[in-house]
Formats: sequence, structure tokens, C-alpha cells
Amino acid sequence: MKKHLRILVAKVGLDGHDRGAKLLARGLSDEGMEVIYTGLRRTPLQVVNMAVQEDVDAIMVSVHSGAHDVLVPRIMALLRERQADDKIVFVGGIIPEEDTPALKSCGVKEVCGTGTSTTDVAALIRQHLKR
Amino acid sequence: MTIEQEILAGSVKRSAELISLIEQENPEGYKTLANLLPWTGGAHVIGVTGPAGAGKSTLINALVTRFSKEGAPIGIIAVDPSSPITDGSLLGDRFRMKEADNQENVFIRSMAQRSYPGGVCKGALGAICVMEAMGKKLVILESIGAGQADSELSYLVDTVITVFTPEFGDELQLMKAGLLEIGHIVLVNKKDKPGADDAVSALTAYAASGLRGNREVPVLSVRADKGEGLDELAQAIEEAHGTSCAVDRKRQRREKYRHFATNLLREKVWGLFLEKFSESSLTPVLEEIERGGLDPYSAVEQVAGEFERIIGVGKP
Repeated sequence: MKKHLRILVAKVGLDGHDRGAKLLARGLSDEGMEVIYTGLRRTPLQVVNMAVQEDVDAIMVSVHSGAHDVLVPRIMALLRERQADDKIVFVGGIIPEEDTPALKSCGVKEVCGTGTSTTDVAALIRQHLKR
Repeated sequence: MTIEQEILAGSVKRSAELISLIEQENPEGYKTLANLLPWTGGAHVIGVTGPAGAGKSTLINALVTRFSKEGAPIGIIAVDPSSPITDGSLLGDRFRMKEADNQENVFIRSMAQRSYPGGVCKGALGAICVMEAMGKKLVILESIGAGQADSELSYLVDTVITVFTPEFGDELQLMKAGLLEIGHIVLVNKKDKPGADDAVSALTAYAASGLRGNREVPVLSVRADKGEGLDELAQAIEEAHGTSCAVDRKRQRREKYRHFATNLLREKVWGLFLEKFSESSLTPVLEEIERGGLDPYSAVEQVAGEFERIIGVGKP
């Protein structure tokens, strides 16, 4: 009876840069995880709906548009609203360093900027989920 | 409210969690599922199969968008393969179901095959039942794009749609056992591509030559991404569903579950066998094969013989 980690890799907002998200999806599945990719330009509500339906353990939000300070808190609020805030959230993409504290204060566990290796992301996921 | 009551009231969160428990083969999950059984069997369950890239997800997206606009609550279960090496999986069907995903009342669940053979996964039946208990009237199960060995799918659904593209090959491919035998509706997708008319004629000729006994198998052509041909398909689906009464359908489904249970049992027994047997008897034999001292057939006979002796010991 093995528990497979289920991960949602999400692109939100008006942002067409998904090379990183696809790389991460591939990398995490190579780590033995089950990865669902949302596709481009989803709304925070769509992302949260998917996370609930798929019953994922973690959500990886990738943002390259600079709108992370609006989109991510919205995702966090919707997760709480749906009582799904047991799912951990990481943010990646182009995130200025000075924005990290604000993201973490709204519940984001890790902010992994460009250059983070997928192996490191996988290790962080396991660390937070204690598996 | 109990978990069962929440699911019957349509809770997406509870239903999703129960599907996870069933996937993990959790005994508590199985118990909840058993409690829900009286409320299952109410949906038309459609299986969609066909080779990789035939357009199964795109077709489901188009169909579900259409049906959900008519107000039907719908569930989709999309199965994708797991890596035999890492056990990981990239579940990429949902990505092609954007319009369906946006409909209220549509619940999509991506599932990994997790080494279960036959183009579906062990938890698929559980997921179907949970969705029926939630009140879904239509449940669509998308198999792995396997093609020729998807018989397992037919044990889980009422109606099978087999999706081809114009490049499926020649008649000889159709004569091979497998894919076409389980289909109730045969589709040629990407009908704008060259060769589509020939493909439809070949499939029609084959379908007319006694496939599935004397039951008629409609052969239709669609272009799923543009929604072309969907009226005819929707009608064929209605007809496939309408020809049997609800009581008959339930009986047929239980008959199929016998087969599914047999296959589940085979998997289970194999797991138990590995658990109990590998160290003592299996490993040395496998090593002997690797050294070249034993061929696989003789090795299996040897292991089976020993296994028989072991279970024979328990007999009075």
C-alpha cells in the first residue's frame, strides 16, 4: 500500500512561459511523483478546483508575469475557503527576492526561483510533507 | 454528516479524498465505498479507447462540454501510464479538457495506471462508483492510449467508443484481435485529414462483417477539435444507452464486474506471492536464469512446483 505523491503544476494568469512548468512536471514525475499539469492561463479558482478534484498533496505555482503578488494570495485564500489548505504551495518562476516574505506570510511554503533544480524541489516537497 | 452523506450530497472534496484512499488500497476507503454501493449504477458509463494521439481527450472535452450545457452532471476519469522505472507519471489528459473543466458540475480526475495491466487502473472502478454516488449521470473513462489490449476497459463501462485516426493502417490491423472487438461505437477522428473516407469505408466494411455477433456497430467520423460530427455521435451514444433497460444494464454490469474482480484477484495474489515467496525460492531461481543455467520456462515450472508443495502442506 504505497502512497504516491500527487502534485499539481499550475500556470496562472496572463503568462505564456511554460518551459519551466513543463520541466518541473517532467522532473517531478521522474522522481516517482504523479504530476498533473494545468496548462496555461488558468485562473486561481480553476487551479484550486483542480487541486481539490485531483486531491493533490502539493501545488507548484509558476508565475513569470510579475502578478504573483495578486494571484498567489488569491489561490491561498480560495484554498482556505475550500478547507483545502492542507495542500502545500510552492511558488516558482521570476519572483524578486524582496517579494518572498510577503508570499511566505500568506502561507506559501517555498519560493523556488529560476535555476532551482527539480531534484531540489522534489526534496523540499518530501521534506514538507514528511514523506 | 458522515463521509458517505457528504459524498451523496455531492461534496467534491470528500469524493476526491475517497478516490485517493481507494487508489491507495486503503481498507477504510474500501469500507466507505462498500457503504455507498446502493447508490451506484445510476450513470451511463462510457469508455473511450484508441491509440495514443488519436484525440481521445479532445473528443471527451468536446462531448462533455456539449452534454454539460444540457445540464447533465458529468464525471471524467482520465488514466495515463506510470513509468515502469520511476513509478512516476505525467497525467496530461486534463490539460486538453479546458472547456469541459470550466463547466459547473463536471468533475475530472486524473489517475495513474500504477502498473495495472489492460489500459486502466485498479482504482478506476472505485472512482466510477464514487462519481455515481455523487450523482453524476454520465461518467467517461479514458483509457491509456494503448490500443490492442484494452479489454479491461470493457469490464468497467456500459459503452465503449473506439477512436481511430485516418492513419490507422490497413484492414489487417482491424482483423487482429483486440481493439475493435470491444467497441460499441467506432469513430474516425481528424476527418479533415487525407484518407478519412477510406478509413471510414474500411471500418464500416469490417464492422458489418459480423463484429460483436449481430449487433450493429455504428462507424462515424468526427473532427473533435472543431466539434464537427458531434450531433451524430451524441445520438449514437443515446441509442447505445437507450436500447437496454436500467435493470438489464445493472445485471450486465455485475456480470462484467466478475471479470474485473478476477483480474484484481490475480494482481492481489501475485503481490502476496512475491511478498511470501521471493526470498526463499524465487530469487535463487531468477539468479540462475541470469547466470544462464536455467531457461525461463523450466524455471517457472520449478517455482510453481515448489509453490504447490507449500500450499499443499496446509491441506488436511
